Amino acid sequence: MTTPSSRMLDLSGYQVPPLSYRILAGSVRLVALLVLLVGLPDAVLAYLSSHGVTPPVPLLTVTVAGAVISGLVTARYILRPTRAFGPVSAASSFATIGYLLTIGLGAVYRLALPSRSIELTLGYGSLVELALLVPGLALVAGVLTTLEDLRSPGERLPFDFPP
Amino acid sequence: MASIYLTRVRRPPPLYRLARVFRRVSLVALVLLILYLATVGYSASELVQSSPRSGGFSAGFAANNSVSIQGSFSLSNPGMYPVSALSLEMRIQNGSGALLGAVVAGPVTLAPQAATTFPISVYLPIQPVGAAASLLVSDQYLTLGLWGNATYAYLFPISIHFDQQRSWGAPFSNLRISVGTPVVGGGNLSAPVTVGFTNHASFAEVGNLALALLSARGAACGEVSFSLAVPPSGFYFQTENAAMTSGCSLSGGSAVATFVGSGASIVLPPEALP
Repeated sequence: MTTPSSRMLDLSGYQVPPLSYRILAGSVRLVALLVLLVGLPDAVLAYLSSHGVTPPVPLLTVTVAGAVISGLVTARYILRPTRAFGPVSAASSFATIGYLLTIGLGAVYRLALPSRSIELTLGYGSLVELALLVPGLALVAGVLTTLEDLRSPGERLPFDFPP
Repeated sequence: MASIYLTRVRRPPPLYRLARVFRRVSLVALVLLILYLATVGYSASELVQSSPRSGGFSAGFAANNSVSIQGSFSLSNPGMYPVSALSLEMRIQNGSGALLGAVVAGPVTLAPQAATTFPISVYLPIQPVGAAASLLVSDQYLTLGLWGNATYAYLFPISIHFDQQRSWGAPFSNLRISVGTPVVGGGNLSAPVTVGFTNHASFAEVGNLALALLSARGAACGEVSFSLAVPPSGFYFQTENAAMTSGCSLSGGSAVATFVGSGASIVLPPEALP
């Protein structure tokens, strides 16, 4: 009789949530993501515009990129038990990287208040570079998952959905 | 869709483990980034609210034939992150945009929960006669331009620029010099010379004002000295007899006044004589 070590799991009876449940839970996540990635930034940018401050990023870019990333992250959640999980994970990370690179293209925000003869310049290129670390690591994880699914389809499921 | 997969007890496959590590590190990085941004935002708002203070600026004559402006600029950082490579540059321009003087301070690093004071000393050279010479006799508006550069919270290079209009009160505002008809008295030729001005500067003028009366060709025709003790906002109007050189015509000439006092010797712009 063997005793499981701390790195080993009892994998008997793992449960993959049914598709209907994943769609429902994914929809809830989608709403939250849309609020976080589209609603909130758009509200801030609209507020800045209404006060005569030029937004650092176009409203359309934020809306489209936020919607695309939210959709991909939701799809990633729903497709987790399938072999599409890895590619969709990589795609969502890739989209996030593209978004960050678009934001960081200028990486300098100029705020001019002519009425008060004040001009403020803020560089955020280093922040964008640092933020790229997050989707970059997730992209590697997505690629590795894709390779794992190609090598041995379904082998990860007991670990992704433990009993 | 439940099923039993492989053995009862099993170790995750290596690729899966590696992918999981990357996913977890990515999540930790995201959380740390959000925490960092939140604290930067909070610290920046604290910094903005602690508005910089400028110490009482004062003007005066300096020994190096210039008008000096002395003061200080204090900045405190109540936030959690340092303001590094902080440097300031101040430029003073007259109404027509001519640069009168500039001063650079820094760079310094302002640590969190600390404050620093930049001493500001600007010298506006007024000799030889240049743009700053008009500061002696003409009230005017000066443009004070301030440029600040710094890096906040390690990652954010910031530069700020603002212009401010400041009124300048001339120490010899509306200087008027007039020369009366020369008369002969006791074998000497003399002429009454009247000097009038208002001290619009923030400092008193104590010393002597020596006048050289020059012909149109620049020859010395006469000289006279006035004793000054004019407080700020004070008005000066005095007549003295100048010793004149016979045969020297002041028609089309000029008067050059030299103020000696407060440790400085300042030559005022020439005044044309009527």
